[in-house]
Amino acid sequence: MAMDRIISLQMSALLRKEMLETWRDRRALWMAICFSLLIPVMLAGTMVIVVKKQTEESTRLVLLGGDVAPLLEQRLRSDSLEVEALAEGEPRALLAGGYDLVLQLEEGFVDRYESFRAPKMYLYVDSSSTSAGRAERHLQERLGKLQQLVVSQRLTARGVAPQLLAPWQLQVRDVSTPSSRGALLLAMVPGLLILTLFVASLATSVDTSAGERERLSLEALLMQPVPGWQLVAAKMLAVASMGWLGSLLAIAALVALMPVMPLAELGIQQATTASGVITMGLLLLPLALLVAVVQILLALRSSSFKDAQTQLSILQIAPVMLLMVLDAARVDLADSYWQLVPLVAQQQWLKSLLVGDSVSLPLLLAGSMVCLLLVALSVAFGARALRRESLLGAT
Amino acid sequence: MIAVESINKQFAGRRVLDHLSFTVPDGQITALLGANGAGKTTCLRIITGLLRADAGRVRLGGVDVARDPMAARRQLGVVGDREGLYERLTVAEYLTMFARVQGLCGKELDRALQSVREELELDELWQRRTRGFSQGERMKVSLARALVHRPRHLILDEPTRGLDVLAARLLRRTLLRLRQQGTTILFSSHVMSEVSELSDRVLVMAGGRIVGGGSPAELLAHTGCDNLEDAFVTLAYGAAVGKRTEEEPA
Repeated sequence: MAMDRIISLQMSALLRKEMLETWRDRRALWMAICFSLLIPVMLAGTMVIVVKKQTEESTRLVLLGGDVAPLLEQRLRSDSLEVEALAEGEPRALLAGGYDLVLQLEEGFVDRYESFRAPKMYLYVDSSSTSAGRAERHLQERLGKLQQLVVSQRLTARGVAPQLLAPWQLQVRDVSTPSSRGALLLAMVPGLLILTLFVASLATSVDTSAGERERLSLEALLMQPVPGWQLVAAKMLAVASMGWLGSLLAIAALVALMPVMPLAELGIQQATTASGVITMGLLLLPLALLVAVVQILLALRSSSFKDAQTQLSILQIAPVMLLMVLDAARVDLADSYWQLVPLVAQQQWLKSLLVGDSVSLPLLLAGSMVCLLLVALSVAFGARALRRESLLGAT
Repeated sequence: MIAVESINKQFAGRRVLDHLSFTVPDGQITALLGANGAGKTTCLRIITGLLRADAGRVRLGGVDVARDPMAARRQLGVVGDREGLYERLTVAEYLTMFARVQGLCGKELDRALQSVREELELDELWQRRTRGFSQGERMKVSLARALVHRPRHLILDEPTRGLDVLAARLLRRTLLRLRQQGTTILFSSHVMSEVSELSDRVLVMAGGRIVGGGSPAELLAHTGCDNLEDAFVTLAYGAAVGKRTEEEPA
């Protein structure tokens, strides 16, 4: 009983020290806050821009010599295709002046057209412009329809059934835009939230391990009558508190920015519920602990503060890369076995919760338990690492 | 009592301690003298349990350091060589944390803190964070940390290095007072005047073993020198020098 009291007394003293050191480190704190807010803000910004592009996506066309063909001008014009007929102009200058396309009718266009001599039209495009391809497709589509109309009228006038020239009709229906683009953005959110966890705890984990060793204050701590696991656990809890709060901040900012995001325009139903948000926060806690202890272990292994920073920077890219590779390999991550694998599990749960789906509670608990088991193993491993003699030599 | 019994230690195949044995009697100040690289810091680190000996054992008040490190650490205070403080903590927070880790709480904790605060004249520093402290201020805080739980054994690795006169005086006064109270003190040093003023016993280390020991007066008598520095040089380097002289035809 007395021993228990001493252990809890020691643990609370160590924890207080680590927490004070962590939360008084302004630089690390600001880095965590800024990065946590950066991701949701960037996401909201990207969504707004995507939608703006979708809705304002109209093509501006100049019809050079179009004053003689008012019907052509009228037929080409639509809601998304602005047509301006000019008697003359320089195509390059017009393209540089904000028009997407310049369609020039050859001289004597009307005469040749009326005598069925297929007059020429010249299309000027600046293919280095991002909107050129889309604009060109847009015009081809309109011209194609018009051409078909003229052809069928000419055939009908000569007593030929226009169907003879059309063995089939192909209609393309693009289902990708705009909602799936938004969904794609939203699908990145779990990975980004996990990345936030890594980044927010990075500075603190390096400071508390490699930093403390470099400042020569680790030695005094190692000479105290406390078991190594308590030292590692206290450091882990402090680091995880920073990482976890970073990811909670990111979730809060994301939810707060959802009304600003044009989710409806992107065809996404805003289905994140309050309990979903709380679950998201809670399910990240075991992962925050695991990330913290792994970062501390790696930083303790490194030869210097700088080396630790480099190693952990690589580590923070690794999970996002891994998740992307798994996604690209089309591994069925929704499978229940995958929900026992840390990182993948959290990503899947966040994905479901973000779109308002439910998550299986037994699987969530089982997955979190696996994560906590790994945390315990890592702490035990860390306690052994603290006894390594090379630890102190590496200053 | 600190008893070092025939310890060996190698680093990367190089023998640093070679069957090192000595005892530090209770209630006395013992100085460990040795050239750079003689193995002093390694020896002190083995006594504090930071390093493990390849062979032999260390007993601290009867407790085997390697077998029961927790019990040993509870009766040990250490001021290390070039040690760092927690710069984002105040002196009060720093000392409270170490006192609680040593198992102190409640009134006992308050009394312990108050007593080191007075003894080491920490009033002005008490609520300040330790960032930017001078060498002397850092030493005072480190010493307070080592003493806060009133250990029976105190180990100091070159404690006066970089200290100004006032800080060095405070350190000397504190060590003498602790000796009066019965604390066993072992310190390593390079400063001969300090060694002769403070220590009851001097151990001279060279090549990872003890090459001479006794009170300062005994060392002088043994070596036939009239000051401690000469006695130290004779003991630490004398054997090698003597050997070389024998080999060379006169």
